[in-house]
Amino acid sequence: MAITLLSSLCVFAQQEDGRGATVGFPSDAKLAYQPVEHSTLAGSGFANVLDTYLAPYNYTGINFRVQRETQRMTHLLDGKVMNQTLIDLNASLLENRAGNNDAFAGGLRYSIGWLYSPSQSDSRWSFAYGPSASAYLGAVYIDRSGNNPAQAKADVTLNATGMATYLLKVRNRDWRIRYQMTVPLIGVAFSPNYGQSYYETFELGDYDHNVCVAYPGNMPTLRHRLLIDISVGQHGSSFRFGYVGQVNQSTFNSLKHHYYTHDFMIGFTKTFYRR
Amino acid sequence: MKRFLSLIIPFFILSFFTASCVSEEDYDNTRRGNFEALWRIMDEHYCFFEYKNAELGVNWDEVHTRYSKQINEKMTNEQLFEVLCNMLSELKDGHVNLSAAFDYGRNWSFHEDYPENYNDSIVSLYLGHDYRIASGLKYKIFDDNIGYVRCETFADGIGSGNVTMMLDNLATCTGLIIDVRSNGGGDLTRAHTLASHFTNEKRLVGYTSHKTGKQRNDFSEPKADYLEPASNGLRWQKPVIILTNRGCYSACNDFVKCMKTCPNVTILGDCTGGGSGMPFNSELPNGWGVRYSAVVHFDSDMQHTEFGIEPDIKVEMSGADTDRNRDTLIETARLLLGQKKIPLD
Repeated sequence: MAITLLSSLCVFAQQEDGRGATVGFPSDAKLAYQPVEHSTLAGSGFANVLDTYLAPYNYTGINFRVQRETQRMTHLLDGKVMNQTLIDLNASLLENRAGNNDAFAGGLRYSIGWLYSPSQSDSRWSFAYGPSASAYLGAVYIDRSGNNPAQAKADVTLNATGMATYLLKVRNRDWRIRYQMTVPLIGVAFSPNYGQSYYETFELGDYDHNVCVAYPGNMPTLRHRLLIDISVGQHGSSFRFGYVGQVNQSTFNSLKHHYYTHDFMIGFTKTFYRR
Repeated sequence: MKRFLSLIIPFFILSFFTASCVSEEDYDNTRRGNFEALWRIMDEHYCFFEYKNAELGVNWDEVHTRYSKQINEKMTNEQLFEVLCNMLSELKDGHVNLSAAFDYGRNWSFHEDYPENYNDSIVSLYLGHDYRIASGLKYKIFDDNIGYVRCETFADGIGSGNVTMMLDNLATCTGLIIDVRSNGGGDLTRAHTLASHFTNEKRLVGYTSHKTGKQRNDFSEPKADYLEPASNGLRWQKPVIILTNRGCYSACNDFVKCMKTCPNVTILGDCTGGGSGMPFNSELPNGWGVRYSAVVHFDSDMQHTEFGIEPDIKVEMSGADTDRNRDTLIETARLLLGQKKIPLD
């Protein structure tokens, strides 16, 4: 279903071809000087974690997130391909529903994507879509002694990502509203086997289906962001705020995992120009 | 703007739709819910059902039927705890525990139902005040030039450096006693580190198998476990006697299992307590902690050691010796080592 909707976004984007602006940038993107936009966001929100290797119940709590994003136009396909890199760091402080046990979760994801933007510069709308790749390293730790207090999380995936941007003016300020969604399509992920101990894996070197092929059937994951930029001053700076939601899920080796986060983010962007 | 919203809203709906995809059956935090959750956790993760059925006649489905009748919503927390602990005790597994703020449910029949064969006060007399301690390993040389090492736990960070320094100090001894009585275990790696100083070659010490699914017979192919000789430091080449009792459990049981494959090593005392399942932890809806055996360790003959390892020489503490502050096991070991009655391989 996610792929279907993502495809519809792409089709919609193609229908818009010739009327949109270069995605994510002001209309001067076609100048000799290409814009490079850096943004830094920090925020907090809600987290819900399930990892049946550690416990059969959800742990919920507060999430903290920092994102560093860079977007730059490339010379590919007549300058219609944008390169986007995203460093996404988050950490969660969690508690079981009985309120008598704590857990910690978090991780770092690096993503790099190439988004094709068929739009023109004379519209408030712009769209882009394309592939991205990401690598993630994280962990879930439940504050309880034992041989299985933590679960390592790691994956490398190829994703489909789509972006829609809407430009408008409010009280003589440029506003940019952007929605982006990313869905992993194929990749590999680490997981212990159902009852396998980390002692076996790392002390004895006994591996047992610990590298799993990931696809939407066993890793139905979705990451999306709704961001609003409000220009500040005349030097390509913007105040940015918005929502970042992540629905990370997997079922490997009969072990279920989900890590849902919903964060309100705030930060700034700065656009530089390069030749 | 309307067009933008018409495009974005479905994706938000989608995100919440997918959010419900991967979840686990959630039990209510009621008496019944906690009972069912505990039974289910054990049913899907415990690794000895087949063995316990063969040895003890435990039928986990029948256990559910029998204990389910004892559950009602008017029970107090203490009453629920007692019923749940009784249910877990059917498995007679020291690694199976239920922990609440007010109590720690356990079945320690593996040592409580047997003679202790160990007296801490008497061992203290043997150690005196001039013993050394290397990362928890207490050691000294007896008057008859027999080295004595008291290893109370494998929870301490025993490293090859500690063992080497200790063996260097004991190098002139004619034999060595390693007393692991009432050692309840700890870190398996530490146990193997100590054992690795008593072999010159890589030895098959057992097999490991873990669960691969929720069914009771879902297990991985047993993988061979090897004891590698210590690559750094000293390796002991003279006779060794390991003193055991029913209190040797878990990682200590594994240590005895490893040492039993080593040359020049004799196990003396009582059967060990066992505990060959590596424990994992989980929890109930009300927050009580659950511990259970999750990974099976077999010996080198693919036999279970869950209920202990028999000694090579069975010796029990005599009342007469205890009355004279003598440790029968230590004295027997000294006698055997002094008379060089322990054959060298």
